[in-house]
Amino acid sequence: MDIIKEASPHIRRRDTVDRMMVDLIIGLSPVILFAFVVYQLAAVRNLFVSVGTMVLAEFIYVLIVNRLPKDGAKHSLGEKFKYGCSHYRLSNFLVPTVSGLIYGLITPACFASVWNGSSWVIANPYNPLTDGYAYFVLIAGALFGLVIAKLVFGGTGHNIFNPAAVGFIFAKECFGSRYRVANYFANYFNNITGVDATTGSTFLSGSFSSSASYANYSLLDLFLGVTPGLMGEVCKVAILLGLVYLLLRRTIDWRVTLSFLGTFVFLMFFAGLIVNSKDASIGAFDFVGYQLLSGGVLFGAVYMITDPVTSPITSPSRVLYGILIASSTVLIRLLGRSDYVKEGMCFSILIGNMASPVLDYYKWSSSKFTVKNLLSMAAIPLLALLVILWALGVSLPLGSSGIDNSAGGTTAALVAGLPILGGWI
Amino acid sequence: MILKTRAIKDNKLQLGEIPTEKIDVPAFLFIATNNARCATAEVYLQPGAHVNLGQRIGMRHASFFDQPIHATASGTFVGLEKHYHRSGKIVDFIKIQNDFQDTLDPSIVDRTEEEIAKLTRADMSEILKDDSLVGLGGSSFPTYVKFQTDRPIKTLLLNGIECEPFITADQRLLLEDPADLIAGIQLLQQAFGCHDARICVKKKHREIFDLYAKVLSAYPNSGITIVPVGNFYPQGWEIAMIQSATGILVPVGHLPSEYGIANFNVSTTVGIYLAVKHRMPVYERYVSVCGNGVMSPKNFSVRVGTPVKYLIDKCGGYKDPEIPKVFILGGPMMGASLPSDDCIITKTVTSIIVMNERTYLEEPCIRCGSCVFSCPVGLQPVQIMNAMRQTPVDKSKVKALNPLICIECGLCTYCCTSKIPLLEYVRRAKIVAKLP
Repeated sequence: MDIIKEASPHIRRRDTVDRMMVDLIIGLSPVILFAFVVYQLAAVRNLFVSVGTMVLAEFIYVLIVNRLPKDGAKHSLGEKFKYGCSHYRLSNFLVPTVSGLIYGLITPACFASVWNGSSWVIANPYNPLTDGYAYFVLIAGALFGLVIAKLVFGGTGHNIFNPAAVGFIFAKECFGSRYRVANYFANYFNNITGVDATTGSTFLSGSFSSSASYANYSLLDLFLGVTPGLMGEVCKVAILLGLVYLLLRRTIDWRVTLSFLGTFVFLMFFAGLIVNSKDASIGAFDFVGYQLLSGGVLFGAVYMITDPVTSPITSPSRVLYGILIASSTVLIRLLGRSDYVKEGMCFSILIGNMASPVLDYYKWSSSKFTVKNLLSMAAIPLLALLVILWALGVSLPLGSSGIDNSAGGTTAALVAGLPILGGWI
Repeated sequence: MILKTRAIKDNKLQLGEIPTEKIDVPAFLFIATNNARCATAEVYLQPGAHVNLGQRIGMRHASFFDQPIHATASGTFVGLEKHYHRSGKIVDFIKIQNDFQDTLDPSIVDRTEEEIAKLTRADMSEILKDDSLVGLGGSSFPTYVKFQTDRPIKTLLLNGIECEPFITADQRLLLEDPADLIAGIQLLQQAFGCHDARICVKKKHREIFDLYAKVLSAYPNSGITIVPVGNFYPQGWEIAMIQSATGILVPVGHLPSEYGIANFNVSTTVGIYLAVKHRMPVYERYVSVCGNGVMSPKNFSVRVGTPVKYLIDKCGGYKDPEIPKVFILGGPMMGASLPSDDCIITKTVTSIIVMNERTYLEEPCIRCGSCVFSCPVGLQPVQIMNAMRQTPVDKSKVKALNPLICIECGLCTYCCTSKIPLLEYVRRAKIVAKLP
């Protein structure tokens, strides 16, 4: 019998990275299920293409990184391949799968690829699988997200930016004008097969009048997901189910999600009060509700900002991180002028990612809450609040392009700008 | 999982129910010459000489104190033999052939009650120094040093927490030897002139609380109480224990005596009673043999100097001998792993754990932060690891992360989701931080 010497401690906790990733997939499953049921073939296509691309890219990366050491001898291609494969672990499959699922869930169900002389339209609304352009957009975004945002930094654990967020922003910036969102949920229950292309619209741009976007969907509609939008973010019930599971399994850190949601609601409530004082028909609580339930705020708060690799490490830094992202999201949502940054969540995540090494800087990071930490936690939202007060208090030409600003002035534009109609940016 | 580790799952309640087995003294006993704290030693005997139980047979020399060596059985001195010491080093052991008579040394005479009543703190310090009593919880810190303080002590804490998983030696001692323990506590109360003595035991040990409710009712107004403390690890660390039992937070780097607190392990307390009352050095101790690599885990009361193999045989030998084993003296979190089972029970060995070897696949750090949340001294082990992985190592950065306050409890490695041996990095960082 052999006796082996090892360093203490000699026992380990049972959880592993693989288990954590499986938990994340389980936590994503309500959202995936919703997408499969409502978007059907389009969801299957988007998820499989993005997951497949990311897993394949990671596999090739493993082969490239783990080459046979140069020992002078000639090795056949098969040997080299085998050596690379021997370094491929379960986590090399699971981690890109999670990234791929998240990226796939924040893509629209269909893409417009045919120019009809005045606008882009969907090629074949009745069978999304035949749309070759969609595959191209999905693969380009997934590859950019995984390779540029993760693999060039050294793979799992070394990336600064969230791969799914980077991939999304790349695809949206390059091909955003072809994104189409439609009210699939209504179609599903009305037994309409395929996509009603006329419902489709470039999200956030001005084809919906302010009254239409605000009045067409109740808070309950937003909560249940009976709205057009990106596949994963519309159904808030599914996201909350996932959140409960992830919190119970401790796969995500509640500090990040809670501080994010708290700050978001706090700032939006103040903004809502200002809006309410200018236009009494919009209640402050309604305003907060619409802001919280529209767009990708909840999806991002549950699945994206909680990515441990790109968030800081200590508990005060994590609270600060959530506050920072929330403040940035609120500012972008309320004050962003371009259609492209109207949603704010994805860019805010990247801003937070960028700040996380700073929050972890060894000279000021601490695992205990200190006065300095608390001061900065208070300072960031207060600063954001000041900006909101200044910007909304003064009559500024807010609002997105294409909306008729003449009637309602500031507040009407604000309401019109609500990113209800889907869209991450 | 992003989770602060508090309690570690163990089988204490099961193993703790097994009564201590008193086993025969083996034919040969081995007494360590030098140990972790004393680098050199001299032996007074010639081979063939007769020794008595409790006889002073040698002297260990350390930088600032000497520690006598005592025989733990009567018999014949055979010679020196090399074995593994608890610290992992190979040292010379004094081999004694047991004559099974247990003839007491003439110097071992009980003190009378009057003599004991006259003893002061300084006297007891001398006695404990002569009997080379050290912290029997595993620290092997000389006990007499704790008696040399002039500060007033308001509270005595008796550490019966035994926060390491699997070990049940102190638990059995508390259950089986309450009389000696209370006698020891009364001596401590006399030495430190304080009335308040608290035995700290984990909340979950209901049977100990039930027993002591009965036992302590026989000592009214003795000032001895039993306090429940948390079930978590490292509750037995003195700072955590003091905070749980008294609410006082002793800053790292300060002595508990500055805050009017003296703390002793329960087995050390029994050792104090033995030394003061009977003039007897520690010659027996409670040891638990457990782990998934032994046939039947058991609690033993053994003679100091017993070879570990002898105890393993008493447990039915190794289970699944085809699986490589990890052989640990002490707890599974902080205990030392030895490369061989050829080692000896010394005074400070609390347990022998034999575990089937398990290798863990190390993944890249995913920065989950469990180590930071779990660290009892508030370090950031992952940042220390990243600083140590840089080439060249940035010394000022390592120093700023303050690894020197690490107590090496092992929680960072234990809770790591990616199975990274973080404690190894922190140990290396400690060396770097000590460099000028």
